[in-house]
Amino acid sequence: MNKILIANRGEIAVRIIRACREMGIATVAVYSECDRTALHVRLADEAVAIGPNAPRDSYLRIDRIIEAARTTGADGVHPGYGFLAENEDFAAAVAEAGLTFIGPTAEAVALMGSKTAAREVAARAGVPVVPGTEQPLAPDVPDADIAAIAATIGYPLLVKAVAGGGGKGMRTVSDPADLSNAVRAARSEAGSAFGDAAVYLERKLTRPRHIEVQLLADHHGTVLPFVERECSIQRRHQKVVEETPSLAVTPELRRAITAAAAAVARAAGYRNAGTIEFLLDESGQFYFLEMNTRLQVEHPITEQVTGLDLVRWQIRIARGERLDLDPERLLTPVGHAIECRIYAEDPDNGFLPSPGTILQLRAPAGPGIRDDSGATAGLDVPIFYDPMISKLIAWAEDRPTAIARMRRALREYVVTGIKTTVPFFDWLFVQPEFERAAFHTTYLDEVLKQRNGQPFAQADAAQQDLAVIAAAIQVAAGGAPPAAAVAAPKAPMRAVQTWKTRARAEGLR
Amino acid sequence: MQYDVDVNGQRRQVTIQRTTTGFVVQLDGKEWQVDATRVNPHAWSLLVGHASHEVALAPDPASGQLAVHVDGIPVGVGINSRRRWGRTDHAAAGSGPQRLTAPMPGKVVRILVQVGDTVQARQPLAVIEAMKMENELRAVRGGVVTDVQAKEGQSVDAGALLLIVSPA
Repeated sequence: MNKILIANRGEIAVRIIRACREMGIATVAVYSECDRTALHVRLADEAVAIGPNAPRDSYLRIDRIIEAARTTGADGVHPGYGFLAENEDFAAAVAEAGLTFIGPTAEAVALMGSKTAAREVAARAGVPVVPGTEQPLAPDVPDADIAAIAATIGYPLLVKAVAGGGGKGMRTVSDPADLSNAVRAARSEAGSAFGDAAVYLERKLTRPRHIEVQLLADHHGTVLPFVERECSIQRRHQKVVEETPSLAVTPELRRAITAAAAAVARAAGYRNAGTIEFLLDESGQFYFLEMNTRLQVEHPITEQVTGLDLVRWQIRIARGERLDLDPERLLTPVGHAIECRIYAEDPDNGFLPSPGTILQLRAPAGPGIRDDSGATAGLDVPIFYDPMISKLIAWAEDRPTAIARMRRALREYVVTGIKTTVPFFDWLFVQPEFERAAFHTTYLDEVLKQRNGQPFAQADAAQQDLAVIAAAIQVAAGGAPPAAAVAAPKAPMRAVQTWKTRARAEGLR
Repeated sequence: MQYDVDVNGQRRQVTIQRTTTGFVVQLDGKEWQVDATRVNPHAWSLLVGHASHEVALAPDPASGQLAVHVDGIPVGVGINSRRRWGRTDHAAAGSGPQRLTAPMPGKVVRILVQVGDTVQARQPLAVIEAMKMENELRAVRGGVVTDVQAKEGQSVDAGALLLIVSPA
């Protein structure tokens, strides 16, 4: 491979461009209209416009992406995560165009993309799955039959979309009387979100942890699992903080869970990078949850504790190279790594998205800090895509030091013009439950509910005084009055306001 | 120069004078000597005595205030209490009708209340979908819904009026 097209945007496109450049491979970015000035476009060797802002008109257009690869002479395609990364038609289209897809085969994507088929693969590999139905519920099953099946699984249970993800098409049922309504609601949500209304039933474990195992598989039969990642800090089924290793995983459990992950990958005939997700219950029993047939958002923490570059290995594997790594190295973490996903959201207003123009941005740096970001000052955070602006990763020799380092780095992070989840992380990392790693997948939702909107970062009296002093100095100094360079310079009202403010400030001088 | 400022729900008066070395700032009877040096158009390095603070300022279009970042904490400061377009002064001041507006462009997924409904503080009023997520918009204070402008399924721009909650 001499030239790789990256079928993605944002921080992950930047991440892949960096790996390619280090390997001497040329890069092609694709972009939608609003991403013309995005960092991935600026850093790539070549860039091709693929359509309007809505994902279905650009980043999900298989035909335009293949065409862009042809036009630029790219011979490989990296899908990143999200968008087309787990779309079997895309993997097939790339292969049919004679290009190398940097990921698994279309067959493996299809197989593991169906939750019920994936559970079957895991069971065949001798790996425990959460008790539930083996087949999707047929659309015409009478309510009484569903109730009978549910009774054998036990309550509370989950109704889950076969094609699901991210908590969509999922319902919790604690009372048998709510079952038929929940099935109807989940079917309708799954139908509109995934174009597939099929659902199945699964027992809901109480207070489970989410533990996952990264693995690499080459084209020569070698499958290597990595030390686990702990991803139990979630908000509305979305991971918020990930760390490795997990405090809940003993050396014996690590042997067992990583061996189980490798067995599932082998049974699926899997190639390239993938992740097996498990639920770990309070008794230490783990259950296969699902497989992600792509690079994960949280892959950097695994890189930090093993010293390996997963994107580089994805490309090497796709080229047919052998995984000649020492398996013990991948299972022996050096130190501890934590990642937090920094979003353009207002944590003090129900985590509402906060799109807009980033006025200034200073990312933290220094020992053990890695900031994987696609954001720069002057850039718009568009409303069309996931609002993650950065992944902040802290590595240190042990967990307490990694937490201290993360807190230090968060304090250095300056983002203005939009709101971010930085104040929320400041709060989270001093919670006793976090310090003791005494959490589970619903911990964060529960504690957020209890807080009931109480602000995360409250300035004390001295900080409020300083804020007033700074605001007064800014206005008195006049050079850049409050409304200058306002978030949306296109809005004529704001331009008028800028003039008024400037005039007022100058009059005061 | 004297300004009225609103911070943390309080109206305060600040007086500021330039000196040869910086500024003298008076606030509620206290006085500070501040060495202020601009580090970029939106940030200052302040030396208050020997205490060093980096402060970043940005206008917050949603509230019409300045977002002043002190020690990583954003503090909303309204200076001179100038009225800005799109601003909901009454809501901010804690009286009068609350105008629930869309905080970002998106699609109205659900309107959870009707005209005449009595609502509690923090009760969800509407759901807007944007950036792949459904977002609940809640009441700031309790009251009675007196107007519903938005319709389910409608696309709205940031700042669009969705509904009004008047004091009960």
